[in-house]
Amino acid sequence: MYRKFLNARSPLRLLEKGLHGGLGPGNLGVVVGGPGVGKKSFLVGVALDELLRSGRVLHISMTHSVAHIRDHYDTVFEELAANAHLEDETQVHVDVDRNRSIRVYPRNALTTAKLREAVKVESETAGQPSLVLIEGLDFKTTSREDFVDLKELAGELAAEIWLSVSSRKEQIAQLPPSVERVEDLVSVILALEPADDAVLLRALKDHDNRDLTELHVALDPKTLLLTRH
Amino acid sequence: MIRDLSTIRNIGISAHIDSGKTTLTERILFYTGRIHAIHEVKGKDDVGATMDSMELERERGITIQSAATHTVWDGHHINIIDTPGHVDFTIEVERALRVLDGAVLVLCGVAGVQSQSMTVDRQMRRYKVPRIAFINKLDRSGANPVRVTQQLCEKLAHNAVLMQLPIGLEAKFEGVIDLVTMKAIYFKGDNGEHVVTEEIPEEMRDEAEIARESMLDAVSMFSDELMEAILEETVTEDLIHTAVRSGTLSMDLTPVFLGSAYKNKGVQKLLDAVNRYLPSPLDGENTGVDLSNDEAALTLASDPNKPLVALAFKLEDGRYGQLTYVRVYQGALKKGSTIINSRTKKKHKVGRLVRMHADSMEDIESSSAGDIVALFGIDCASGDTFTDESVQISVTSMHVPEPVISIAIKPIDNKTVDNMGKALGRFVREDPTFRARVDPESNETVISGMGELHLDVYVERMKREYGCAVETGAPQVAYRETISQRADFNYTHKKQTGGSGQYGRVAGRIEPMEDGTGDFEFVSEIKGGSIPTEYVPAVEKGFAQCMTKGRLIGFPVIGVRVVVDDGKSHSVDSSEMAFQAAGRGAFREAYPRARPIVLEPVMKLEVEGPVEHQGAILKTIMQRRGTVIGTTESAGMARVESEVPLSEMFGYATDLRSMTQGTAEFSMEFARYLPAPAEIQKELKEKFSSKIVDDDE
Repeated sequence: MYRKFLNARSPLRLLEKGLHGGLGPGNLGVVVGGPGVGKKSFLVGVALDELLRSGRVLHISMTHSVAHIRDHYDTVFEELAANAHLEDETQVHVDVDRNRSIRVYPRNALTTAKLREAVKVESETAGQPSLVLIEGLDFKTTSREDFVDLKELAGELAAEIWLSVSSRKEQIAQLPPSVERVEDLVSVILALEPADDAVLLRALKDHDNRDLTELHVALDPKTLLLTRH
Repeated sequence: MIRDLSTIRNIGISAHIDSGKTTLTERILFYTGRIHAIHEVKGKDDVGATMDSMELERERGITIQSAATHTVWDGHHINIIDTPGHVDFTIEVERALRVLDGAVLVLCGVAGVQSQSMTVDRQMRRYKVPRIAFINKLDRSGANPVRVTQQLCEKLAHNAVLMQLPIGLEAKFEGVIDLVTMKAIYFKGDNGEHVVTEEIPEEMRDEAEIARESMLDAVSMFSDELMEAILEETVTEDLIHTAVRSGTLSMDLTPVFLGSAYKNKGVQKLLDAVNRYLPSPLDGENTGVDLSNDEAALTLASDPNKPLVALAFKLEDGRYGQLTYVRVYQGALKKGSTIINSRTKKKHKVGRLVRMHADSMEDIESSSAGDIVALFGIDCASGDTFTDESVQISVTSMHVPEPVISIAIKPIDNKTVDNMGKALGRFVREDPTFRARVDPESNETVISGMGELHLDVYVERMKREYGCAVETGAPQVAYRETISQRADFNYTHKKQTGGSGQYGRVAGRIEPMEDGTGDFEFVSEIKGGSIPTEYVPAVEKGFAQCMTKGRLIGFPVIGVRVVVDDGKSHSVDSSEMAFQAAGRGAFREAYPRARPIVLEPVMKLEVEGPVEHQGAILKTIMQRRGTVIGTTESAGMARVESEVPLSEMFGYATDLRSMTQGTAEFSMEFARYLPAPAEIQKELKEKFSSKIVDDDE
């Protein structure tokens, strides 16, 4: 299969449909899930989809090393390529690597000032990111002003910014208080919850839509791929 | 023979250039009684450590940097194994690390963790070598052991724990406080040989208590007993030692020791720590491959009664002639016995077996599993495995990576041509990733290896050790060719020019191998004897011949699977030669249709520098067609990991220096082969085809 077909058939299209067009440039999205449920795999899935559409991704982490995150991308990519019988896998992989930058900071060391600096360095050298992923940002200690600034940055870059948040519980009955505090600044909030054979995605917030529809997208815990459900 | 294996320590001392490895090694040999006077390393600030020690060795007639030096401390046999300081020597590093059971990571108390330490440390992690750390040079101005310990945690991801506190720093550095015994330790006498234990100075009591508590906190993770003892306030020294040892062996803990080798402080306590915390040969697991079972992995037992398995890890042309250093992994090596080289299958008689000391060597009768000794007069290459005749085992896989870079060399002075030959002969035997050949077209001597620096070092050694200075040509990158799609062939080789003719037909397909980097695979799916069995190897040979020189740019072809499923023979005119020719012809026919592409070697490049220079660092990588994998920021430093084609890396050191005002450092190793960009492929193809025209004329 060729890259563009792979993209057209991606479960991410289904997710976008369920979310009335997806997250959209200039917006913040949050994925909430229990420990080890697959938040990173979700982010990597979103990133690979963007990369296969020739977008640029900046992946920021305060929890893992560069090598670890890269391995994760490689694993998911290989799984995806094998699953879709991707043509010209080596070349596509090289292109994907080229358009992705990983940045790792010590825990609690990321400020919006640092983020802006990183985006500036990226834009001047490799290129301006169209998607930014942030793992391990502590919502409790990050101020509301910082979230406002983050939202502004998304607007300036016309990029989507996804953040992951850990919850203690596996089933997300309600928003964690740290997220609720800034709920108005976030456009989309998704919950990742383990079910019998897959990890299901559920919308907790979908822009201004009151009627939250079923997303029909899940994460396969074996292959770490996003799938239709 | 050492009977109690638990008293053996095979250790490496790994250090960044200038962090004082030579001085530390010399002090260790002095305190353990192997050398009798201390002499300072000369020209510390302008020459690298290896050269320092070589000069020192020459002057003093002692061996500090021999491949393995044996010494004894407090009833323990310590073999200090020389670890090469640079990563360009992939195979050499790999081999040196294999024979180590543990290592001392020496860090400069001022400069701390530098990028070179990172590469060496990463390799030690890869080979699962437990480490303890020694922060040296605490007498220097700007020394800060706490900061260096933090760097160990942040940059190298060690769980580093200070086991001592310094008493004074810089010019006032006097001694250390042992946080296990809670005593102050001073090193008195002209050479610090008298270790004096006193009470902790009053003004440092509180600080020491706090440091001990945090040490116990970290260490108690590795022993439930210790944790209980802490709660019940019944902590003993032994409980702490056991916990530190178990954390160190599992590589979850790095105990940190302090001192200044130059000022003769702290070295004896470090030796105690080597005995206490680093593993003996019994603690680790060593594996080999079973050559009688397709290189299946097997575990070697440190048991003197099992069949012998020993690895030759270093050859040395010493003052005493050709020495082969071996580590015995299993069984025992005895004088007068017969051993067999697993690679060459040659038998050797063990004439002389010696243990190397700094200033002498000692003849021994036998050596058992876990020990490191040297053999005389055995002709082999380093990396060879010796066994007794009962087993077919190799410690290392027989697979050696192909060199990625070549340069042409020419002696400046014709008189030294012979020496060049001698030097090359020896280097090739020592290092399988180093090759030397005479190019038949240009009649030049070409050397190949794993990186620019790898070759630089050999060029330097030729000059220094063999008095043979050479001119070097422009570096040549080792490209490869491969195919990117399947192509079928059906080729008939037919020749009828009087006498018996030649006839052979082969049909089948060539296709890319899945992982892309395997060398060459030949599969025969011939049914009903359409090609007689005796000719099948000839067909394979025909194809294999084509792999050595591709038709795109003249470089070797890799990653090709040939499947032959049909053919035809002639009862009179078919011969091995005819089928070989048919194989070659079939490949020629199919290759252009299999969409051949050029692969280029890509290096993993790590650059580290101050955060404010990261833009400049990234630019040096982008300019070189590099792919930035990621950046790690911490404590004001940025570490950029990337992959860059080797062909773009020449002169990188100079460029990086000027772009970052000399604040950044880099390290590099071969990563993998990747398709070269279209424009570069085109350029290479044009160059190659113009050469072919020349040849034809």
